[in-house]
Amino acid sequence: MSENIHVLTVDDSASMRALLRAALTSRGYNVSQAEDGVAALEWLADNNGGIDVIVTDINMPRMDGFGLIEALREQSRFRDCPILVLSTESSDEKKARARSAGATGWIVKPFDAEKLDSALRRVTH
Amino acid sequence: MFHNPETAINLPQRITVMQGQVYVGTGANEILTTVLGSCIACCLYDPLARVGGMNHFLLAEPSPGSGTVADQNYGIYLMELLINQMMTRGGVKSRMKAHVYGGANMHVGMTRIGDANARFAKNFLAEEKIPILRMDVGGESARRVDFDPVMGRTRCRTVEPVAAPAPKPVVAPQTGGGEVELF
Repeated sequence: MSENIHVLTVDDSASMRALLRAALTSRGYNVSQAEDGVAALEWLADNNGGIDVIVTDINMPRMDGFGLIEALREQSRFRDCPILVLSTESSDEKKARARSAGATGWIVKPFDAEKLDSALRRVTH
Repeated sequence: MFHNPETAINLPQRITVMQGQVYVGTGANEILTTVLGSCIACCLYDPLARVGGMNHFLLAEPSPGSGTVADQNYGIYLMELLINQMMTRGGVKSRMKAHVYGGANMHVGMTRIGDANARFAKNFLAEEKIPILRMDVGGESARRVDFDPVMGRTRCRTVEPVAAPAPKPVVAPQTGGGEVELF
């Protein structure tokens, strides 16, 4: 059940965060949000890492999605946490970079809430 | 006077940004142009990187819970696409400035889509902390916008309504957004 799944979404666009929050909470997810990689790491440190899955944008100020994935994979408690990239980018080069950094998957924006829901369920079960 | 071929080849290339599209200048001698009715064109410019781009969207954003994908018909997607493509070309979001045009209410007595579009653009840019240098929206007239993406200069003129193409949703390609690839 998605009621128990806690998602951290990381996106610098306030409008996109609002859209993601609406799409995920209406499907029963517990949603927390951060505006970039630095804020995400701070949130995870403050909340003792209590998260089931992370959905991150790539292009963000301060720390981008690649940097966030690399920083998380260096911490043993996030070594197995699913991390999905949600980006307007779709180049093979960027996907390969995310994969080698340790991302679990890649979703191309504009996102389809049904497909996002299904991907979240797959990676958290 | 002899004809000077040097001046002839210096004419800018005119690039039309159609509804549902985003175009960021390549640094070449280009003028981005579009004609708007109720649609909005947002021009973003980073004066330090001298990078500029334009989008052209039909609607603001899908209503929450509608299940509609925020695709290339919607400002919420095309604004992000524009910002990201600007960043790819060296633009920095905190330096970006905006010009917003369009949002006319072309048909009296019908839903004021133009107003909703203009309101969305203003709110989106405020949330993203991107200042609006010039905003020419509303009214009942179509507009033609020309944007020099290297210099950041815009020109907006009202034109005959027939010049504005009838707005209609762009059909998403079969392999459009939302595709999931698990590694």
